[in-house]
Amino acid sequence: MNDALVPVKSDESRDKLIQLVSFNLDQEEYGVDVLKVREIIRMPNVTRVPNTPHYVDGVINLRGKVIPIISMRKKFGLLEVENDKQTRIMVMDVEGELMGFIVDAVSEVIRISGSEIQPSPAVVASGIDQECIAGVINQAERLLVLLDLEKMFSGDERRLFASM
Amino acid sequence: MPPFDSEDQELIEGFLTETTELLEKLDDDLVALEKASDDPELLNRIFRSIHTVKGASSFLGFDLLVKVTHKTEDVLNRLRKGELAVNPEIMDVILEATDLVKVLVSDIKAGEIQEREIDGTIAKLLPLLSENVAAQAAAEPAPAATPEAAVAPDAAPSPDAAAAPSPESPAPPSPKQEVAPVAPQKPAGDAVAKKAPVPKPAEGKGEDLSDNSTVRVDVKRLDDLMNQVGELVLERNRMIQLNQDLQQGDAERLDFNEEFGKLTKRMNFVTSELQMQVLKMRMIPVDKVFKKFPRIVRSLARDLGKEVDLQIFGEETELDRSVVDEIGDPLIHLIRNAMDHGLETPDERVAAGKPRGGTLILAAVHEGNQIIISIKDDGRGIDTDRVGRKALEKGLVTEDQLAAMSQRELFDLIFLPGFSTKEKASDLSGRGVGMDVVKTNIKKLNGLIEIKSEKGLGSEFILRLPLTLAIIQSLLVEVEGEIYSIPLSSVLETLRVEQRMFHMVGGQEVLKLRESVLPLMRLQRKFNVQQRHENDDFCYVVVVGAADKRMGLVVTRLVGQQEVAIKSLGNYLANIPGIAGSTILGDGRVTLIVDPVGLIDDGESASGR
Repeated sequence: MNDALVPVKSDESRDKLIQLVSFNLDQEEYGVDVLKVREIIRMPNVTRVPNTPHYVDGVINLRGKVIPIISMRKKFGLLEVENDKQTRIMVMDVEGELMGFIVDAVSEVIRISGSEIQPSPAVVASGIDQECIAGVINQAERLLVLLDLEKMFSGDERRLFASM
Repeated sequence: MPPFDSEDQELIEGFLTETTELLEKLDDDLVALEKASDDPELLNRIFRSIHTVKGASSFLGFDLLVKVTHKTEDVLNRLRKGELAVNPEIMDVILEATDLVKVLVSDIKAGEIQEREIDGTIAKLLPLLSENVAAQAAAEPAPAATPEAAVAPDAAPSPDAAAAPSPESPAPPSPKQEVAPVAPQKPAGDAVAKKAPVPKPAEGKGEDLSDNSTVRVDVKRLDDLMNQVGELVLERNRMIQLNQDLQQGDAERLDFNEEFGKLTKRMNFVTSELQMQVLKMRMIPVDKVFKKFPRIVRSLARDLGKEVDLQIFGEETELDRSVVDEIGDPLIHLIRNAMDHGLETPDERVAAGKPRGGTLILAAVHEGNQIIISIKDDGRGIDTDRVGRKALEKGLVTEDQLAAMSQRELFDLIFLPGFSTKEKASDLSGRGVGMDVVKTNIKKLNGLIEIKSEKGLGSEFILRLPLTLAIIQSLLVEVEGEIYSIPLSSVLETLRVEQRMFHMVGGQEVLKLRESVLPLMRLQRKFNVQQRHENDDFCYVVVVGAADKRMGLVVTRLVGQQEVAIKSLGNYLANIPGIAGSTILGDGRVTLIVDPVGLIDDGESASGR
């Protein structure tokens, strides 16, 4: 599944139809693989967890399961804003564990074919790790940044958590 | 042997369950037999156990097992008829054979039957079956048996050394190694060096045998549980009914309130009962761990040349499986410690005016939500002067620190990694690892360890452990508006104090509590909680203890006591310092569970120890 997200050269993945959940973050539109998204919820009470990276907002109770919540704005170094009626938490499966990501708004599920994914240009929105950008999608009027969240929480990030 | 088909598999599983149980009891009985060698009932029981194993294994075609059990049975039969008298050497051989049987059974359990070297053990059993040995052994028991025993093992290696290479050509050295774990009991006359690696693997094997992945539950308990679930279903129906009434609007407000109140009460009652029942099912008697010890104590006593009477109390005390799994190792270390360091040799004891044989008491008892396990010996006690000197020599403490230490702190020195009073590491002890293991494991379980010792009279190690690790009693505290939960098992007391009572000693805030000085930690600072209120004159101090350390946690307010279910924070947030996990409160909010053990360690390193 992962492979389909990464712009691989093989023809198979180029023609494959992919469904993405698109969400907004500071005027930009992003997309993630729909199969990774478990559910989308409104902001519940978040319990702060001390001594964690600044972008970990805390933990929430998701029907009896405690899951960590990441602020995407903080993670990407964007301006912090108050939560409003549009704010959502996207609960995603990141390498077998549920994690919640706070986004400004979730807009829709879109369908694209693998061939529409283009490698990301050298400089995209500042602050976002180049690594976790799987590509960009240029569809008529809109530009969608395709994220690979597993990349975002792999390598250094994981070690950081583990070493704490 | 090829994998068994499914029908056989069922038979084999039955065989394994039965055999495992028999073998577990057998160890106990054998050690008891040595003490009460004239108890015919005991001897008969042992004989029957071995006989049953033999019968079942021959039916299923486990030839190796049959051979070993057959010879063992023969020896036992002679004991039973009075042709042989029980003596330590015979017991050694029988125990060795039992161990071999365990290894073979665990092979079957693992599904791969290996060619095990069994001739060595059988060779030791054989001499016991010939007439003259019997006469000799019966006529001249203990002292004369030593040369005879020395002959047996000597005789044993030669046949297998000769026999091994030919039928089992693969690896000549391997048979020898395989024999090692099988033979923890070399007769006393045998070279000491051989004993070195032996006890450990044998213990490992023994544990393998007792399967922990399946549970046997008393039918009565299961019935109780079913009853409770029935109640719960009734209450649920009542709840659905109430909800319907409310939706349809025919519920009169007053009546509804009352009904709902009743329902809540009953629900509360039923769920707590249910919780208790399920918890009880997870409980197993501590006997599961304790029953290994007579055997271990026996072999240690023989190795050390000491006479020990092990007394076990409260083995029926029940505690959670998760805890039982963890306490085995620490207890073994404590027992070894007591036997090696605590108890004196018979001669020393006589010289000190004590009875020749030392006493080791292992006891378990419930106390509230905890289980208390104590290991008590009547040996020489902890010599604090010597402990202090050694710690100094090894550079674990400075002279100043040592001078300032209380008796209690001096006792605690023995838990330091690398500490040992032994000049030279022996097979049993002296590497300074054991007590560190004890401390680490007990801490992991949220337990406390306490030492009582009087020089010349003996020592007692007291472990306080929580009954379960899944649901805990906790103290909810507020830290500047945030709620945290502290495991009640670690809470020793709570105090309301004025802030001006705090003192600073070496950059560390402390509180003088009765006779001792209690280091403090402000949770607000530790957890970076934003200050909401002006500093109050009063605050609360929660005194927590982990293993052998104490510390005061400064909080804003005490909220109350609650039973909480522990929820993991997942992999990503698994290692946050000072946080053990989380739980969900009645209002659905997540609350973090403080890890007093981690905090205390933290506080220690912060204050430079």
